[in-house]
Amino acid sequence: MSRITRRSFLKKCGKAARAGALLVGAGAPYVFSRNIVKAAESDTIKVGILHSLSGTIAIIETSLHNAELLAIEEINAKGGVLGKKLQPVVEDPQSMVQVFAEKAKKLLLEDKVVAVLGCYTSASRQSVLPVFEQYNGVLLYPTLYEAQECSKNCFYTGAVPNQQLDDFVPWIINTLGRKKFYLIGANYIYPKETNREVKALLRKHGGQVVAEEYSPLGATEFSTNINKIASSGCDVVFSDLVGDQIVAFYKQFKEFGITAKDIPICTPITTEQEIAAMGPENAVGHYTSFNYFQSVKTPQNQSFVERYKARYGKNAVTNAVMEAAYFETYFLAQAIAKVKSTDPDALIYEGLPGQEFLAPQGKVKIDEKNHHTWLWARIGRANEQGQFDIVWKSDNWIRPQPWVPYLYPDKACDFTDPRVQSRLKKPWSEEKNRSGTINL
Amino acid sequence: MVMQSIITQLLNGFSVVAILVIAALGLAIIFGVAGVINMAHGELIMVGAYTAAVVGKAGGNTFIAMPVAFIVVGLLGLAIERGIIQWIYDRPLETLLATWGVGIILQTVIKLIFGPELYYVGAPKILRGGFHLIGRLPFPWYRLFLIVVAACLMALVFVVIFKTNLGLKVRAVRRNRAISGCLGIDTARVDMLIFCFGSGLAGVAGAVLAPIKSVSTTMGFPYAVDSYMVLVLGGVGNLWGVVAGSGLIGEAETILSFIFNNVIGRLLVFLFIVVIIRIVPRGIFGYSERQ
Repeated sequence: MSRITRRSFLKKCGKAARAGALLVGAGAPYVFSRNIVKAAESDTIKVGILHSLSGTIAIIETSLHNAELLAIEEINAKGGVLGKKLQPVVEDPQSMVQVFAEKAKKLLLEDKVVAVLGCYTSASRQSVLPVFEQYNGVLLYPTLYEAQECSKNCFYTGAVPNQQLDDFVPWIINTLGRKKFYLIGANYIYPKETNREVKALLRKHGGQVVAEEYSPLGATEFSTNINKIASSGCDVVFSDLVGDQIVAFYKQFKEFGITAKDIPICTPITTEQEIAAMGPENAVGHYTSFNYFQSVKTPQNQSFVERYKARYGKNAVTNAVMEAAYFETYFLAQAIAKVKSTDPDALIYEGLPGQEFLAPQGKVKIDEKNHHTWLWARIGRANEQGQFDIVWKSDNWIRPQPWVPYLYPDKACDFTDPRVQSRLKKPWSEEKNRSGTINL
Repeated sequence: MVMQSIITQLLNGFSVVAILVIAALGLAIIFGVAGVINMAHGELIMVGAYTAAVVGKAGGNTFIAMPVAFIVVGLLGLAIERGIIQWIYDRPLETLLATWGVGIILQTVIKLIFGPELYYVGAPKILRGGFHLIGRLPFPWYRLFLIVVAACLMALVFVVIFKTNLGLKVRAVRRNRAISGCLGIDTARVDMLIFCFGSGLAGVAGAVLAPIKSVSTTMGFPYAVDSYMVLVLGGVGNLWGVVAGSGLIGEAETILSFIFNNVIGRLLVFLFIVVIIRIVPRGIFGYSERQ
């Protein structure tokens, strides 16, 4: 410890003044804004926003960032939480996995945010989770993903496979009357896990896998695959292609003269945004399974779409992940109000589980046991306007199952289980396993 | 049925070869003649694709977009050459870094102007649909068009390099820069024009590929990778190398992808290139310095 004498204090002041003088110009606005933040600290609650605004995934992540800011503005306009305004602290991890972890650490330790709304890809989530677990932060994650995970420090508000596939696959078999599936996906974990589940469902419901193929990420040439599809004798294509692959695949599918009447493409991924990019004529008649479409006819959604367009321009399109990003912000605000605290353990054990919200897709709820979210299932058929006609909707919200029983009968995720609770009571330095997964 | 699939597959292969030729030609000129390792090649293609998107919004189609993209991206190339490259020609490592930087700047600028979302570019009406040659699947008109475009661009480059005064100078500079300079050729001007021409070709590539691929700010990178593979395999500095490299990679990849799958197809093609490079380090039609 250094004792501060008057002389050393004056010396330091001199140094600081010189350093300050060097900073004039480039540094000054930064210092200035930091001071304002300091002054305002007492009457705001800081919320971290961690989405790539540059780099390859910025296309989708910018829209998540926008939806979260919209929700925060709305919450603040209604008076904020506990009489305080929510203050977004935005960091840009530039689509780089390792930067996600650094920025997450910065948000938790330096900015001391109450929670972080962030990440899109599974890779980025997996890179930040150890940070949240070590420093006991709260992450709200909006993307549909391959599940088989549940961390104490993460709340998952996107769909897990059982909420998108359990009804979709039998619907394809029974309602569309198509049994011979051609599976095509991008070559990484999400499509592979999704297809594992699709195959299990096909076995259960009497469908058949004609072929299963993966394409390297970023590859956009599909003529070979389309030739194979045409000669395979399949009657439906199940696609887990992602990003700009989707656009190229649908375009080339149409180019080779295959229509949705011959072989429809069914997918849990393609949103209104990709359809706008490929042109509606290339998507007409193909099916997507999602919790949310822009065309959902609830009063909440109509008002959400209007507000979103008013804020971000009349051509702005909403999509499922963005909707999850929007309502998870409300989950957080309600949870803070419920426990009247920003303590992470209070939020994790009391605030967030069981939290309900009337979202654009319908009423949603965070599961009391597994940190995932009860969502609605819908099947949409792409129409000529680039929107989806909803051809099927679940009668009720659907319980999230991070471990689906027909693939993992001996596993479950349950944070109310005494074994899990006793494990999580130990500090991180003694027990690094922060998962709620138990063997039944 | 099997025969039909194989023939369709060979035709598909030709269209993939055409796509590779179109994408690689601009780079072949810049890398092969001007000797610049142009890391911004993919981004020049991307700017060409966005030019096509703008032309499409304004009511034009691919036929109009091609010359417009040639001019727009050609002028962009001119600006890059005059502004940056001309000062660092003799420092290959720096040109590599500088053009990489240019690529990042282009991506960011395009994103600031057009936003981060994917862009829509449609094919011209008369090129939609396809014709039945054999088998169940029609062969798309647009792919036939790509093959024609590839052939025309090759012809154009041949004429420019072998039949024009500029081409003569270009070849002279390529052979021996110092002597050419001594003989009164303005080598800096040749470099400038060739960079401009190569960039224009990259722009055309973006404009014709946009209707069957996706248009985004990050679309260029895979094309740049493919183009470099074509050049490394075919040989730098020889136009036949572009055809040979594209032909081998395109057909090999489509055939292998058909027999196995895309991932293994890609893997085998990479392996194949490594082996070829081991045997003929300068590529199949590699240009060797005159002793």
